Amino acid sequence: MTTYRLERRLELDARTSALTRVAGAIIAMLVVGLILMLTGRNPFSILMDALDAIFGSQRGMEGVALRAIPILMTALAVALSLRLKIWNIGSDGQFLMGAFAALGIGIHVDGPGWLVLILMALAGSIAGALWILVPALARAYWDVNEIITTLLLNFVAAQLVTWSALGFWRDEGSAVIQSTERVPYTLAGIPGTDSLTIAILAPFLLTGLLFWLFRSTTIGFEIDMIGGNPKAASFAGVNVRRRLVSVMLFTGGIAGLGGMLQLSAPGAQQLGPGFSAQFGLSGFIVAALAGGSMFGVLGGGFFIAAMFFAGIILQTKGLSVFIIFAIYGAILTGVALGEVASRYRLVRAEAAGVVA
Amino acid sequence: MMILGIIDNAFLSLISSAIPASTVVVLAATGCLLGERVGVLNLGQEGLIGIGAVYAVIAVTSWGVESPWLAFFIGMFAAAIAGLLFAICVVVFKANQVLVGLALALGGIGLSNQLGTNRNGTPIRALFREVNPGGGLKDGGFFEAFFFHDPVVYISYIFLPLVLWFVLFRTRHGMNMRAVGENPAAADAVGVSVLWSRIGYSVLGAAISGAGGAYMVLSFTPTWSPDIARGRGWVALAVVIFAAWRPFRVVAGALLYGSMISLGVTAQARNWGLLFSARDLAFALSMLPFLVTLAAILLPAGAAQFGKRVRSTTAPAALAVPYSREDR
Repeated sequence: MTTYRLERRLELDARTSALTRVAGAIIAMLVVGLILMLTGRNPFSILMDALDAIFGSQRGMEGVALRAIPILMTALAVALSLRLKIWNIGSDGQFLMGAFAALGIGIHVDGPGWLVLILMALAGSIAGALWILVPALARAYWDVNEIITTLLLNFVAAQLVTWSALGFWRDEGSAVIQSTERVPYTLAGIPGTDSLTIAILAPFLLTGLLFWLFRSTTIGFEIDMIGGNPKAASFAGVNVRRRLVSVMLFTGGIAGLGGMLQLSAPGAQQLGPGFSAQFGLSGFIVAALAGGSMFGVLGGGFFIAAMFFAGIILQTKGLSVFIIFAIYGAILTGVALGEVASRYRLVRAEAAGVVA
Repeated sequence: MMILGIIDNAFLSLISSAIPASTVVVLAATGCLLGERVGVLNLGQEGLIGIGAVYAVIAVTSWGVESPWLAFFIGMFAAAIAGLLFAICVVVFKANQVLVGLALALGGIGLSNQLGTNRNGTPIRALFREVNPGGGLKDGGFFEAFFFHDPVVYISYIFLPLVLWFVLFRTRHGMNMRAVGENPAAADAVGVSVLWSRIGYSVLGAAISGAGGAYMVLSFTPTWSPDIARGRGWVALAVVIFAAWRPFRVVAGALLYGSMISLGVTAQARNWGLLFSARDLAFALSMLPFLVTLAAILLPAGAAQFGKRVRSTTAPAALAVPYSREDR
């Protein structure tokens, strides 16, 4: 009889670890399905309803694509920071501040639409970057853990946006109590679609840019060096602190730009509660699933966006939105355990004995 | 003299509302501290508070529990189960603590909101009552600010930190536990079980964090509402950093947060409109607890850079680092 045992892998290749992460996420969702079944719901009919809602109509597919934009932007922000082994958990706050700054420009600046939109995009990116400035400096120069600092600022951003919607930028003429004035400018639509704008191009362009950055530039190489071993990078002549701060600011800028893109979609155009339906969290899950791979983010982003969209549809069928949070939790646990599994492999006991 | 009187009065009412407001954070932060001292970082505080709170509510509203203490322990027990699952993932399987911690935060919020769906605003009938040391002292002043709270307040502010301080810094067992957090290989070498001390203390820590949630619904709010933690779990994590992993400094840090919360409430109630209208003031002050918490962790770290008390602000060296013998 042959027996098997687990053995530590000496080297980890990217494909194995990606496969085990995805497998972990899938197993986690099966577990959630099992729990749903045990509580008297039919996971298969829920899945069928979800698939039908997404692929059954053009509206469903566009709905997924629309939600994929903010999720992909925040996910790219988190994925880039993960390459430095930095956890930017504040992408939700940076996203909100990007939208906030873009709104400020949009309702106060008059001019040709294209010019105002460019200004809004600039303001959004800068605001997102500024929102992570203090955590970035504190991390680089004072060695303060960025997880808590970036997260605390999410709450500040959410309060500021609520303040603007109920207070200083409130639309006095609107019947809805909690909403700001509307930005009159929107991004150009894509012909043949009902609701998509050129914003959908941004995450693809950015993914390409980041892929190129890591494949062919010194900057990308330096980032991976810092992520691997900051001391070694420092000895090799990389200015670790400056690189850390500049990359973190850039990630904040990406999330902030995401906020601006969300704001300037036709139909959005104003801030209020529910503007960022925890897109930062979804983006975080995507980045964790992708493990820092830029193309992995694209795939994971559309997957999570589809789940998010299905969650909204399924609310009408008696599932609450909170289930989505629970599923996110399960997926993250699955990813983390999958990461552990990728470090081992199953070998025949005798064979391993001979090698040892 | 009159101005002095007003300030005095406002200060006391600030204290008397800050103490219960901070209790949740004291408990959650003490729970974090326990786990972090043995090297386990549990970012899921937000979820643990939710789970502790919702099970305390379920115990009272559905299971007919009439004693607040029993409901309190049921909340703690539920959070301990969640903490055990977390510990199995990160201590036994050595999964990434940040990922699983965030998973616990998300899963805990989702689960507790789901379970609490039909219980929004239900009055809780088993509430903690204030300890009354004698009716004549309830004077609206000094004594009332400090001596008329419920028993959980005194347990969290005095008893718990005292026991923790004694065990951690005055016993052999505590020294071993701190060694597990600082240098698990050394602790392992002298025969301390890294596995069991990490599991034990992170589960106990999760139970205490859950106690914070149970306290919210059994005394502070006192009812269930969705997203009950509202950032208190994250504040608790920050308070532990501010407190440099020491039990009594945790109390001080939590009080700092609580006094910012009650500053907002007091300012609104007394209509202190200096620069803003009353409405804008309320919004501005609602950001303050988070900003002050942020400043509270940045400033000591900044001061440490300029050569003051560097040693006392450092985290346990093996925090969030999994330990396996084969890696030694």
